[in-house]
Amino acid sequence: MNRRDEANKVICELNACLNLLNSANDADPKSNILNYMRCKIYDLYLINNLETGQEFISQANKKSFPAQSGQTFTKQELAKYNGKNGMPAYVAVDGIVYDVSNSAAWGAATHFGLSAGNDLTTQFASCHAGQPILQKLPQIGKMMNEQSESDQR
Amino acid sequence: MNNLNQINDSEDNLVNCLMREAHSRFSKSENPQMNLVWLELTGCSGNIISLLDGDHPDFSFLITHMVNLVYNNSLMAAEGNVAMQKLKAVLETPYILAVEGAVATANNGYYNIIGQMDGKPLTALMAVKMLGERALHVIAVGACACHGGVSAASPNPAKCAAVRDVLERKVIELPGCPCHPDWFTGTLAHILLYGEPELDEQNRPLMFYIHTVHDRCERRSLFEQGIFAKKLGDEGCMFKIGCRGPVTPTDCPVRKWNQHVNWPIGGSTPCIGCAQFGFPDKMEPFISYDVTE
Amino acid sequence: MAEQIIINPLTRISGFLQVQATVENGVVTDAANSGLLFRGFEKILLGRNPFDAVYYTERICGICSAAHAVASSLALESAIGIVPSEQGQVMRDIVHGCEFLQNHIRHFYQYTIPDYVRLPEKFPLFDTVGNDFRLTPWQTETISKHYFDSLKISMQAHEMEAVFGGKAPHNHGVFIGGVTAVADADSVIRIKSLLSGIQAFVNTAMAEDAQTIARAYGDYYHMGGGNGNLLSYGCFNGYDSLGTLYLNPDALINGERIKFDERNITESIDTAWYSGKDTYEPFETVSEPDMQKQRAYSWIKAPRYLGFSCEVGPLARQILSGCYPNHVSAMDRTMARVYETSKIASILSLLLEQVKPGIQMQNRYELPQQSKGVGLIDTTRGALGHWIKIKDQKIAFYQIITPSVWNFSTRSGRSLGPSELSLIGTSIKDSKTPVEIGRILRSFDPCVSCATHVLCTGQESKTYQVVS
Repeated sequence: MNRRDEANKVICELNACLNLLNSANDADPKSNILNYMRCKIYDLYLINNLETGQEFISQANKKSFPAQSGQTFTKQELAKYNGKNGMPAYVAVDGIVYDVSNSAAWGAATHFGLSAGNDLTTQFASCHAGQPILQKLPQIGKMMNEQSESDQR
Repeated sequence: MNNLNQINDSEDNLVNCLMREAHSRFSKSENPQMNLVWLELTGCSGNIISLLDGDHPDFSFLITHMVNLVYNNSLMAAEGNVAMQKLKAVLETPYILAVEGAVATANNGYYNIIGQMDGKPLTALMAVKMLGERALHVIAVGACACHGGVSAASPNPAKCAAVRDVLERKVIELPGCPCHPDWFTGTLAHILLYGEPELDEQNRPLMFYIHTVHDRCERRSLFEQGIFAKKLGDEGCMFKIGCRGPVTPTDCPVRKWNQHVNWPIGGSTPCIGCAQFGFPDKMEPFISYDVTE
Repeated sequence: MAEQIIINPLTRISGFLQVQATVENGVVTDAANSGLLFRGFEKILLGRNPFDAVYYTERICGICSAAHAVASSLALESAIGIVPSEQGQVMRDIVHGCEFLQNHIRHFYQYTIPDYVRLPEKFPLFDTVGNDFRLTPWQTETISKHYFDSLKISMQAHEMEAVFGGKAPHNHGVFIGGVTAVADADSVIRIKSLLSGIQAFVNTAMAEDAQTIARAYGDYYHMGGGNGNLLSYGCFNGYDSLGTLYLNPDALINGERIKFDERNITESIDTAWYSGKDTYEPFETVSEPDMQKQRAYSWIKAPRYLGFSCEVGPLARQILSGCYPNHVSAMDRTMARVYETSKIASILSLLLEQVKPGIQMQNRYELPQQSKGVGLIDTTRGALGHWIKIKDQKIAFYQIITPSVWNFSTRSGRSLGPSELSLIGTSIKDSKTPVEIGRILRSFDPCVSCATHVLCTGQESKTYQVVS
């Protein structure tokens, strides 16, 4: 199946999900349907970024899903996004979480000895303060502030 | 002179002109007027080997028409105290000091003794201070001399320091592991013909250290298209494997190495940032496979 | 009355060496050679990504860097359980062979010739107080010209190396599995063309110059000998279809050919500035520095095979492979190196015929959690070994024993290393200009950058008669 056909198939499935959502009354099925839709959207993301000749393999059931935009991260959650084994590479600066997966300066999800999956506010301030770097990076979400994080625990 | 035409990038016109001018002016001179001391310190002595790999100008041209090379541990005929006396004698003459290797400072510098002068050990630290003070120009050649390099890699057992950290004067920095021979001969030519070259904020000559490897990489379009290598030898961009081209400002993509025959990325290995400050600790890991999914 | 001759630095070697020779009645009765450079690679490597070891260990030495890349790759292959294809082996050995050519040509012309030939006085680089130059003006002029001609030839050897290696010095193409480059007709014919020019020079000018030196300085066939023990880990061997092109691991101990077994390698720190177990096997321990140690005079350790000190290098290989008569001396070492240059060039020709275009030999390698491996290979100066242990996918242990540690070994008990043995019994004609010492020691092609990832410090300068 070519790339366009794959994408169209996923779009049909998403449409079907939307119809289901309309008819679902309980919160549980809605939550499951939403999760499933989220996985399908990730499949679309993959199809869009396929290398030439690469076969599409649905990742819908895998856990390596890019975080939802606007998600709030704890330190432990952020640590998972270290760029390795299929995970995207995220870093936090001043409370905002950025995606550096495709940032040229982050080869192998590392930069001058620093690793993705970490809060690099201090390091950024000491090296790049005032430089227009962050605005070029996709924003993924925010860091949970430490008070909220300890409240949650 | 054909290889001069291989550098087609318009940004390198200064370098092309420089090379032609150097060859023309220096060939006419009978005896070079300037002395060159090339100190090998705490390192692998790979930069003098790299210098021997240069062409147009080659090493023969360098010592015949450009400078009098009066001291070098790898190449000089003299040995022992006779060699040491040459170091003393050059202090009274106009000379340029080139230093490769870091400066071991542990145990007062006794971790690297480069000779015995008048019955006493001459440490790398003593030698670089002695020669560095009076030199007309000091050029740190290679990563170790510029910022410690591999010699100073954590935990830095010999407490290696950069040349600039032990001298209280300006040092022209030519980082690289090794330094490309052209970066040295081009800088030397500029000094001899026109004076000190224009330097960036890290004292690297802008002639050679201005654009990043990423900026002019032959695989750049693959990066833009998201076509990434998953292993060495693949044709894709090696960003995911850990290529440091985006943070390394050298002209390797256009100058290439060894008479323009190849360069690391042409050989399907990523740039390991050997010419950037922070090499090697901050450029690791050099090779990663677990980011390539 | 005994006098001490100190030569520091011994120039025209790789790295920093001090020679201390005791001379009585014009004959050397004792010698102590000390490495004078410390970096501590074995400590530096701990905790790092094992794949990076290949590029790190290259930086031990600038003139034989490919040697370490090969040994490190072999050690990693051993630890991970990778067996390279023959194509991988062939292409890696081509890169390695180029390093041999570069090294040997430079060693003969740039490091050795100034001892025997008065190079042009207009170059301050060639200033010398040596007074034992025996060549005719014509011979001097010819070899001086070849000194400069050889610069282009050795440069081309590195150009060859860069075709598959990416760049030289410090090529990155050598790796687990062979090399990273994929061969094509363009790269193969480029190497062939460069090799052709190098071979022509090596087999004519370099061979003739070596003969000229050997004839004029024939006394050096009777100086700088050794105990006759020779060792090699083998090189250019073990190919599936080609078999052995040079030699397999071998040892000649006390006149007996012994089947090589790596378990017979030990190292001692008897008179080296380290503390810990006095004698150990390579995987056992990396010693801790100890500058206060009495009797110690160098930071070069003392490797032994079955307890014997052994010479390694081109002469050992040439004798063990049957290419050269069993005779050990300073001049034999120099001649063997020249013959070996020609031999390696021929081997490269054969290897090139085996290169197939378009073959990708790399994979995505996985590191074991815990493992160990060893890489043993004969290289430019002789037998080189890398021993690695991996724990939690990081380097937990790394031991390196280089050829120059074998040759410039300190004494262990009553067993002297080859370089010190080679000086004992040497007649010194003029203690003010003891040219014999440098000529003998340089015949080993010392690489003190390699022998001393080690330390020499703290030795108070004694009131010796310092000879120029």
